Amino acid sequence: MTTSAPESTAQVVSSEEIRDMLLNLVASYLEQPVTDIRSDVKLLDYGLDSIFALTLCGDVEDEYGIEVKSTLAWDYPTIDAITGFLHEALSERV
Amino acid sequence: MTVTENLSRQPAERRGPLADLDTPDTLEALFGDPDDLANPVGHQAFVDADERGDFLPAGRKVLEAYGIGAEFVPRALGGRLGQADDLARVLRTVFRHDGALGLGHGAINLIASSTVWAAGGADQQRWLASVLLDNRPTAGAITELAYGDDLARTRLRATERDGDIVLDGRKEVINNVARAHAITVLARTSEEPGSRSHTLFLVDPATVPRDRLRFLPRYHTSGMRGTHLGGVEFLDCPLPVSAAIGEYGDAMETILRCFQVTKSVASGATLGLLDTMLRTVTGFGVQRRLYGRTVAELPHAEAELAGAFTDLLICDAMTTTACRALHVLPRQTSVYAAATKYLVPEIEQGAADRLAVLLGARSFLREGPHGAFQKHFRDLPVAALAHSGATVCLATIIPQLPRLARKSWFVSSAPDPALFRLGQTLPDLDFGRLQANAGPDDQVMATLLDVGQEVQSDPVLRELCERLVGELRALTVGWRGLSPRNRTPFAGPVGFELAERYAVVLAAAACLGMWWHNQDHPNPFMRDTAWLISALDRLTTRLGYDPLPGAGDAARHVFTELLTRHAEHRAFDLVGRRLF
Repeated sequence: MTTSAPESTAQVVSSEEIRDMLLNLVASYLEQPVTDIRSDVKLLDYGLDSIFALTLCGDVEDEYGIEVKSTLAWDYPTIDAITGFLHEALSERV
Repeated sequence: MTVTENLSRQPAERRGPLADLDTPDTLEALFGDPDDLANPVGHQAFVDADERGDFLPAGRKVLEAYGIGAEFVPRALGGRLGQADDLARVLRTVFRHDGALGLGHGAINLIASSTVWAAGGADQQRWLASVLLDNRPTAGAITELAYGDDLARTRLRATERDGDIVLDGRKEVINNVARAHAITVLARTSEEPGSRSHTLFLVDPATVPRDRLRFLPRYHTSGMRGTHLGGVEFLDCPLPVSAAIGEYGDAMETILRCFQVTKSVASGATLGLLDTMLRTVTGFGVQRRLYGRTVAELPHAEAELAGAFTDLLICDAMTTTACRALHVLPRQTSVYAAATKYLVPEIEQGAADRLAVLLGARSFLREGPHGAFQKHFRDLPVAALAHSGATVCLATIIPQLPRLARKSWFVSSAPDPALFRLGQTLPDLDFGRLQANAGPDDQVMATLLDVGQEVQSDPVLRELCERLVGELRALTVGWRGLSPRNRTPFAGPVGFELAERYAVVLAAAACLGMWWHNQDHPNPFMRDTAWLISALDRLTTRLGYDPLPGAGDAARHVFTELLTRHAEHRAFDLVGRRLF
């Protein structure tokens, strides 16, 4: 779990790093090995519903020091989709 | 800084609710003396209507004469809705007299209309404003019995067909739906699971084909027996495409934002029920003689009455802070509104239970001079559950608190004092600024540390604040150490307990803020420390601490104020305005 967030240090973050971070995050929520989590499965299918999406948004903000809409995980329902969005947002920041 | 120095920082001119405490406000004056048996809108008339299971027509007339509908319409649209705490106080007046009226012809209008003010088009807003300004009832058809507050599982469907929207399905346990002139309906607009599959629609029941709309039989209830709780079934019912409120798929987000307003205002409104219960039992206490003295002179009764009064002040501090935060800290209110909607009904119910014991057999008599008590006592749990229950409120804040523990507590700075200053007018409510989840900046909680520093010279307050700060420290450790799973829908009981304790500390912070920043209150009791000491003592007791021996004197001051307000017919809330 990420507890201390790097404060808006704009740097290039690769898609792989973002995806790994999200996989680990979701695995920690579910208390499952990260190898059991797939990035193309909807988070909803893991039982992570609308309220959970709010948690994820806060964790992503703290991890990358950017503000994202609280509905991030509603609009990007899989780890792959969130990765794509975040990679673009972080690249724009750089 | 001493209290006197603090006073000098206050604006000289008194505005808002503190401007005049000695004349009843317009709506309260229309209701008149509730104990007058000849009053067509007195307690007896409302008890009789409740026995009949109907609204009291004379009560509805009072609300119409006052123009209650305008209270829900933003000022920009010709109404009087500006500040959420003002609206809560207006509705509190209605609840003081009758819960069924307060919900069915009061709070329900806010639930029905807020989503339209937040996301509706200009035509929809104008039309709904005209309905409300004519004092016609509205309804919010959001819930379905099968899923309750789990709105994402809504089944009622809206599909596009031949240029129309077609609604199909039913909504249950909807207040006033059969009488409503405007209904907001939550519908599923996509079969995908998740939170982007729902859309709100604004329905004018007068314009849809009558054979496509069916009202379901009324549900009968234990409390608020006058409310018309029903249901509606749409049978392939066509609506114009323009009926959609906002964008397709936005309903859950709109609701998450708007319900912060409705939760905060409704919590502040229902305090009217407790006000009347406390008034009834205090009246009994000062009249009834036992063991050669009045009941109120017995130490146990004195402590219980003072305790209930303190509870009401705590609840008002919390609800008023939540309401004003909608204006001052709109980024944070997702947590404040839910914590308030959880804790306030809990405190109210506890207070009501103890008052019932004090009133004895009269607490269940459905007639006579104390008959209003049992009605309000039955109304309270219905009011508490209406709109969203304790569990769903806690579930809303659990995922958000770990972040506040990591990023905000002991870090965030104190809020703009306008948050607490009752006499300071705030900019009109702006639904667009509310967010579905809270940012990492819990400024209300920061008030605990901020004002806590100012009371170090008072040994009792210092001790109470140390306890509370200690609790916040424990919460910080607790939330940081909680496994990530406890931040999801699968949170265990430990997450719920930590969330409950957070709400109690938040209430204490609200009390400190309300006391410190209202040192221009015309009533010296509100400037003095007695109510604050009693409030913090009660809240720390709720956290498991023993009552502080030094707080006993404060409780006696609180009791004296209770008797004064009772004799002078003043409200038992922070403002304490004369009622009749």
